[in-house]
Amino acid sequence: MAEQTLTLRNLKVVFPSGMGLIRAVEGVDIDIGKGESIALVGESGCGKSVTSMSIMKLIESPPAITKMDQLTFAGDDIKDYTPSQMQSVRGKMMAMIFQDAMTSLNPVMTCGKQIDEMFMRHMQLNKKAAREETVKALELVGVPEPRKRAKNFPHELSGGMRQRVLLAMAFACMPKLIIADEPTTALDVTIQAQVLSVLRDMQKKHDVSLLVVTHDLSVVANIADTVYVMYSGKIVEKASVKQLFKQPFHPYSAGLLASVPSLSDTAGHFVQIPGSVPHPMKKPTGCYFHPRCHYAKDKCKASMPPLSAHDDGRQVRCFYPLKTNGGTSNV
Amino acid sequence: MSETKVNPIVDMRHVSVDFPVKGALPFIRKGCIQAVSDVSLTIHRGETFGIVGESGCGKSTLANAMIGMVKPTAGEVVFDGKNLYELSRDDFKATRRDMQMIFQDPFSSLNPRFNVYQIISEPMFIRGQDSEATMKARVIELLELVGLSKDDLYRYPSDFSGGQRQRLGIARAIILNPTFLVCDEPVSALDVSVHAQILNLLTDIQKKLKLTYVFISHNLAVVKSICDRMIVMYLGKIMEAGNVKTIFDNPLHPYTHALLSAVLDTDQTKQREQVILKGDIPSPIDPPKGCRFYQRCPKAMEGCKTIPAPEITVEEDHVVACHYVNGFPESVEKGEGYDTPLKQQADE
Amino acid sequence: MKAVLKSIGRFFLKRFKGIRRFIKRVWAHRQGKIGLTMVTFLVIVAVFAPWIAPFDPYDVAERTTKGLPPSTTHLLGTTINTGQDIFSMLVYGTRVSLIVGVSSGVLIAIVGSVLGVMAGYIGGAVDSFIMRLVDVLLVIPTLPLVIVLTNVLGRDFWIIILIFVAIGWTGLSRTIRSLVLVLKNSNYVKAAELSGASRFHIMIRHILPGTSHLLIMSTALSSAGIMVAEAGLSFLGLGDPTAISWGKMLADAQSGGALLFGAWWWIIAPGIGIFMAVFAFMRIGIVVEEILNPRMKQSSGVYKIFKNLNSSYVEDVFNSMDEHAQIGEASSAKGGAHG
Repeated sequence: MAEQTLTLRNLKVVFPSGMGLIRAVEGVDIDIGKGESIALVGESGCGKSVTSMSIMKLIESPPAITKMDQLTFAGDDIKDYTPSQMQSVRGKMMAMIFQDAMTSLNPVMTCGKQIDEMFMRHMQLNKKAAREETVKALELVGVPEPRKRAKNFPHELSGGMRQRVLLAMAFACMPKLIIADEPTTALDVTIQAQVLSVLRDMQKKHDVSLLVVTHDLSVVANIADTVYVMYSGKIVEKASVKQLFKQPFHPYSAGLLASVPSLSDTAGHFVQIPGSVPHPMKKPTGCYFHPRCHYAKDKCKASMPPLSAHDDGRQVRCFYPLKTNGGTSNV
Repeated sequence: MSETKVNPIVDMRHVSVDFPVKGALPFIRKGCIQAVSDVSLTIHRGETFGIVGESGCGKSTLANAMIGMVKPTAGEVVFDGKNLYELSRDDFKATRRDMQMIFQDPFSSLNPRFNVYQIISEPMFIRGQDSEATMKARVIELLELVGLSKDDLYRYPSDFSGGQRQRLGIARAIILNPTFLVCDEPVSALDVSVHAQILNLLTDIQKKLKLTYVFISHNLAVVKSICDRMIVMYLGKIMEAGNVKTIFDNPLHPYTHALLSAVLDTDQTKQREQVILKGDIPSPIDPPKGCRFYQRCPKAMEGCKTIPAPEITVEEDHVVACHYVNGFPESVEKGEGYDTPLKQQADE
Repeated sequence: MKAVLKSIGRFFLKRFKGIRRFIKRVWAHRQGKIGLTMVTFLVIVAVFAPWIAPFDPYDVAERTTKGLPPSTTHLLGTTINTGQDIFSMLVYGTRVSLIVGVSSGVLIAIVGSVLGVMAGYIGGAVDSFIMRLVDVLLVIPTLPLVIVLTNVLGRDFWIIILIFVAIGWTGLSRTIRSLVLVLKNSNYVKAAELSGASRFHIMIRHILPGTSHLLIMSTALSSAGIMVAEAGLSFLGLGDPTAISWGKMLADAQSGGALLFGAWWWIIAPGIGIFMAVFAFMRIGIVVEEILNPRMKQSSGVYKIFKNLNSSYVEDVFNSMDEHAQIGEASSAKGGAHG
């Protein structure tokens, strides 16, 4: 077994609200190996962001109530770390890239200064040495004229540049794990391609583990090795990117893939998943996906299928996975 | 086909839209944003016309100029044989009822204080020719058409999901039986699993009501599936235009190539070459004098900096504006070494 | 004609429904309950003042009752110099304070919203003119201006209200303007424009209703502020000399030597009146602000829910998420078993 960067077991998160408990995450397991790139895919409200925030322990409690069986990061059990202990982990060992670079950068501080601070806090460098490191870091993520750019304020940079500054910041201390929450959603397609390629290169070059949270399957295809598909707070499928795109086992993954228009499609009609994502307070009984599933049978309405293991380390939460050999398995 | 060509629904001739940028002091203009510059196009009756490009390329401004929301600084817009910006106020209002728009964000496009009936019936209410009963009947009819039910009549937008809200927006847009509908990125704000629902609904409605669509998108795969003709825009200019089939069979402009490579292909076995453009989209204030794309173009040559690339028809219904494809025009002064490849800026 | 009347009737009925719903939302808060009850109480007192007050507060001829402490006949005692019944003065003072406060508040809301919407929606020269006017009014020190104006225009009750409105609309119109700028660019306004809506239609149907919450809050808060300001003015002797207001009662107490003779009831009574009125209106203002600003509501409301959560219930919910609990009879490979 390869060296594990992160092991998360049975994460559960609920949010109290006026009408009852909102079940955001219902027992999620995630494994990230060293230098591995993982994608957590799902639609809005599926709990993917809550999961990633929980790993960083950035979920505020109250209001959230979090429970997990295990959270091991780089060999340390960080499940019960206090906020101050987490502070020494975050940034140095575990970094985060947010969707909106404009709000995650301080608007009244130059970009360079914000990266300097990372070096000064986590590596105890002095101001001058930190700036040198900052310039190097900016150069690594492909910012032209890094010394000049470091003196710019966030609003003076374009969206793509700001996202690169965030990348530089995340990679500053060469952390073991980087969590990227929708890193390119706010960007244009050609800029998105740039940022993703930089992220991918940096990740491979420095052997950093990566957890990308996204709703965009093209991001997944570009950057991940392994994919976790989430639906309504539960993992419904885990597979390698190649496997998933070749033959999704879960009807939801299949629908998701089919509903993304592809250049090889010719017909003017799109394969659609009927209905919409269930409200977190009104989840259906049995399999959460059954009201939208073409293949749902009585059993699906009655009970939640387990996450069952298949060949090549694949896992699927379905009684009747879509296999090419046609057989329904595991029951 | 020939008939439709004689009578296009929209004909834009050399349309430019500039926005002045105010400086710190009043009365002193800092510059001009050339959102759309010298764009000509015709949209045929009953087709779906795609406008593709990234943010800031002027695609929304162009669409707004088409429906009379933004007055062009130059050029003319002819809608259904009438020059839109020369009509009297009343005629303009009446003509504009034939055009409607579907917005990108289904959350800001519905007034949160109105119920479904009020939202959908508003265009009829404004026209003020119908009784309450006819309005109600029409709204119910439309709700069923877009896949909602009569029971939703008195609910508020906050009770609906993004996809359902977009359905409400569609119902509002077609209540006055328009002939021309602008869809401004109608699915990009929605969950992936409802994209297909909305796109299918739009195509169904188009067939039923014989509408002409302008479909704005940055996703070439969607455009390929639903559009008949398209233009690719960059910084206010048309880069490539023509029949969708022709363009996808034979994409010529380097920018089109880049956009194509950004589209996800679920078929992972095919290894496609990824074109990654360098640099950022430049600001539309004071755009480059020559080809607007030269700074990011992998094929750029010295001459591209200064000589504007004219739109040249390369085959039937396929126009490309690129020196690399068409060669430099012969009539202009080119200068020394105009065809040497441009050195890319250090941006790696 | 009938149809017009009907539509006007429906218009008000609908508005009324909206107001009723809004009051219900305010009532749902504990603070809102307190505020609404107190305001209702004050309004009743003001309306029925002649029936509630046991004596004529304007009657200064009763020389026999000078400086009496609180008793069953004179609930709050009498004044030292003129022997007026303080309880009756307090009851009648409610009228002045409420009328000055509420009517200024409402007028400020009307003027502020009309000018704010005009500035924001029409823009251009109108906007510049209104905003420069706001700037000018904001830099003029208020108190000297009021002193000058009351001296020039006289100290009539209505003139004082007009002065408050003339000064008070500025802040509100600025807030409304910025809100209108946001609403104006929303897509539903664009959709209405596309359907041929006139500017008037958009202002009345889309923009003005969008500012209504802000107006209610502003009315409540500025009413409270103006009641205090009115008391202050009267205390300085700048109020209407013929009307009995709480501020004037305080001023009389001061000049009549209430402190000198230890007539504490003379000072405390108007103080309580002012406190109650301001407190009530502030409560409503705060609750409306909370309804307006969902983030504020969340931070207080959810925290309360969190504190009251039954931990065993949470545990049950967590347990129900477990694989075993849900699959029941399914005996297949258990989730989470990784290789």
